[in-house]
Amino acid sequence: VSWEAGALLALAKDVLAEAGEAEAELSLRDAERGCARFAGGELGQHMQLSEPLAAVRVARGARVAETVTSRLEREALVAAVRATGHAATLVPEVEGFPGFARADDAAGPSPPRFSEATAQATPEERADRLAPVLEAVRAAGLVSAGMLETARVAHAVATTGGCARSHDATIASFRVWALETPGAGGAAGYAGQVHRELGALRLDERTERAVSVARRSRDPASLDAGTYDVVLEPEAVTELLEWLAGIAFGAPEVEQGTSPVVGRLGERITGEDVELVEDPLCDDPSLAFGCPFDREGTWRRRVSLVERGVARAILYDRTYAARMAARSTGSALLPTLGSAGGVGPTSLMLGAGTASGVDELIAGMDVGLYVCRLHYVNGLLEPKRAVMTGLTRDGCFLVEKGRVTRAVGNLRFTDSLLEGLARADAMTRERRAVPTFWSDAGAFVSPAVRIRGWRFNGKSQERPDM
Amino acid sequence: VRDPFLQAALAWLRAQHDVRYAEARLVESDGERLRVRDGRPEQVTAEASRGVGVRVLGSKTWGFACSADTSEGAVVAAARRALAIARASGALARAPALFPEQPAARGSYTTPVAVDPFSVPLETKLGALDGPVRALRAGDARLRSAEAWMDWTRQKKHLVTTEGTDVTQDFTYGACGMHVYALGEDGVSQRRSYPTWQGGDGFQAGWERVAALDLPAHVDRVKDEALALLRAPSCPAGTTTLLLESSQMGLQIHESCGHPTELDRALGSEISLAGGSFLQPSKLGKLRYGSPLVTLVADATSEGGNGTFGWDDEGVPAGKRALVDRGTFVDYLSGRETAAALGRASTGTMRAESWNRPPIIRMVNVSLEPGNAGTLEDLVESTEDGLLMATDKSWSIDDLRLNFQFSCEIAWEIKHGKRTRILRDPLYTGITPRFWGSCDAVCDAREWRLWGLDSCGKGDPMQLMYVGHGASPARFREITVGSTS
Repeated sequence: VSWEAGALLALAKDVLAEAGEAEAELSLRDAERGCARFAGGELGQHMQLSEPLAAVRVARGARVAETVTSRLEREALVAAVRATGHAATLVPEVEGFPGFARADDAAGPSPPRFSEATAQATPEERADRLAPVLEAVRAAGLVSAGMLETARVAHAVATTGGCARSHDATIASFRVWALETPGAGGAAGYAGQVHRELGALRLDERTERAVSVARRSRDPASLDAGTYDVVLEPEAVTELLEWLAGIAFGAPEVEQGTSPVVGRLGERITGEDVELVEDPLCDDPSLAFGCPFDREGTWRRRVSLVERGVARAILYDRTYAARMAARSTGSALLPTLGSAGGVGPTSLMLGAGTASGVDELIAGMDVGLYVCRLHYVNGLLEPKRAVMTGLTRDGCFLVEKGRVTRAVGNLRFTDSLLEGLARADAMTRERRAVPTFWSDAGAFVSPAVRIRGWRFNGKSQERPDM
Repeated sequence: VRDPFLQAALAWLRAQHDVRYAEARLVESDGERLRVRDGRPEQVTAEASRGVGVRVLGSKTWGFACSADTSEGAVVAAARRALAIARASGALARAPALFPEQPAARGSYTTPVAVDPFSVPLETKLGALDGPVRALRAGDARLRSAEAWMDWTRQKKHLVTTEGTDVTQDFTYGACGMHVYALGEDGVSQRRSYPTWQGGDGFQAGWERVAALDLPAHVDRVKDEALALLRAPSCPAGTTTLLLESSQMGLQIHESCGHPTELDRALGSEISLAGGSFLQPSKLGKLRYGSPLVTLVADATSEGGNGTFGWDDEGVPAGKRALVDRGTFVDYLSGRETAAALGRASTGTMRAESWNRPPIIRMVNVSLEPGNAGTLEDLVESTEDGLLMATDKSWSIDDLRLNFQFSCEIAWEIKHGKRTRILRDPLYTGITPRFWGSCDAVCDAREWRLWGLDSCGKGDPMQLMYVGHGASPARFREITVGSTS
């Protein structure tokens, strides 16, 4: 059913040759995903999902049009290229358009990101691996929910200028919740893991972690809103980083004037222990995933966005780079059906600290909160300051005199991430990758972080009795 | 669009001993997404998609598979894969899924369209966006960036089931709007939008809706308000009377009524992305969700609504029913399986984003029935002291849909029945049933407007969906407000 990247590249070249446009770019992607979604202790939604996608761009001079289609048949693609060429004659010029990538655009390193075992995983294998997960949570007197996914993703880019790229990747991810009730709230614990190798996932260990957090979450105390020191697990930090990625580091947001780094490159924007890197070529198989080139065929680059708290760089595609006198960082995102691609990171990584683990971070708080996850973060409140709001979820604990003493009910925070990170005084050595929710081939990476004085402005209600 | 190979897939499935139910769905869509920013085309994209999804209920549980290849062999192969998945999953199931029979449906549904948007030349559409964008930035250097957008999608669906359902549907969705960012000397930017923030301005209609929106007529007001926000004071924190204009009411309904009344959430099926719901089955018919002025309906038949259709993706016909009746929680958005778990009938809300996703419970048009408080200006006049907030800027709500916090683009202070000054960065927060319980006035049908979202996210992997929300402006007492700044 699925395409391999080499075959996709051959198809792309063939289509461009047949269509006869002088200046065109064809990005092809095919994902085959096996998603075993369980809830209420049952494997109720098990799916094989095909996600073929072609993004065609054709330029007539600086007039550029685009077609995005799920139809990878040769004839449909040739027709799409030609129709896009016709549309390009009708649109205004794109300021600064530099043309599509050329044959001499340099390629870079390509860390191995494919596992045959993951690619060949069957529905039976996913079900077999999940059986002990469901049983372990049930045996703990809790209700399980989550997902085990195995996916293969092939990418190819070809341009009429001779740029030709292809890449095969796999991703295996596991997320598990252990819950006091199926959908009515109460105690909850979460754990997850992502790797290119299905066999590298520790389903047993991750399930044990979710059960442990859920057990400790029972009978939460009601805590008033206020300012608390916090230790945020990587799953909580990456949720904040996803929003920061969306508002801060893309050239469009900078040009539009809404990014917090507008006019501040070279200035301190957060704490001096903060290192933030877009590192898509990282060769650690537990931290980086996905394709080493972008939808334009530009090889992705390691870009240090924040060094010791100082804003150093932003991310570009070819057009924004040309317009802003910079070089593309390989950050052009592939559009999907329904949304534009844009410019942004796929592998944002917050630098590690020196703490041996979360316990050490917790030990350094007199009174504070240990937060396992966040929910429904929104970073659009005041983008120039990176003000965000959201709630705790799946484990929020009171820390007293350096020890976790009890669970507390979920709280709402509203604070600036950049100002918060300026108050971060410790991070763990260990970092975890957390898949971005919008992509099957991207993940953000973070250590656990201790932030002083994080502002909580409301509390939720668990098990409401109204 | 009809596909004979769907029946071939069903014929193969019917011949299998352990297939209790199956559906095959062909979805073909075409789209156009246009964005003009600051005088240049930011996006000129055509879209196309075609494929088949097959969902099978085996002896115990479900399997879903799909194919972009719609040849007979490929469609039947997808059916085989779906059944294989159902069998693999069945080994873990403790009891067979409940799935009551549904009478076969036949027929077709088509969005009423006066002017086919795909017949309008691309240059005309880009021109309709470019003019307002240039005007939005004219006359003041602080008007930093302006954008206008227009999206069109035509989606054709053919659904057949082993129960004999055979329906075709032809939808035309659109969206259009604009916004401008003004940048102050302090480096802070302020946004104003019309008719509302991008993504909330959708409809099911043709090109005629763009003409009715009349972007040029609203340019001056939008830019004036954006500039006024730059020098406006921040919204003061405190507890006050809050008036929400219609589009913000739409978002309020979406997050605090639409999602928590999804029965799959309440039963725990959506934990892996969205969470659960405080509206548990034990509360049905008992819970005081809002004041007696609050009647919220799920109406899949509203004319022009993004959540309007003929049949859902399980073949259940569209209908209208109250979710909250004069303040009391009375029903769920449900599907056949989830409703059966409560001994109820499906409310017909199962929809899939496209051919490569299974149907899940989605909002239809979830709307607040109009009240009798006159127009928005009547409502302002009858308010001694309070705030009027408009146009969503940020949104967040907890995993049970209780604690919410929304910020808006703009607020007006109300003193002695009059709007006095503009306030910037306003936000309000509350607990869902307490908030709706404080509703003491809803404007009448003259102010009622149906809004449309095109990107309601739910499911895992996430599915985006077209949903609608109708509302008149309304008033709420003793609400916690503040400022994002």
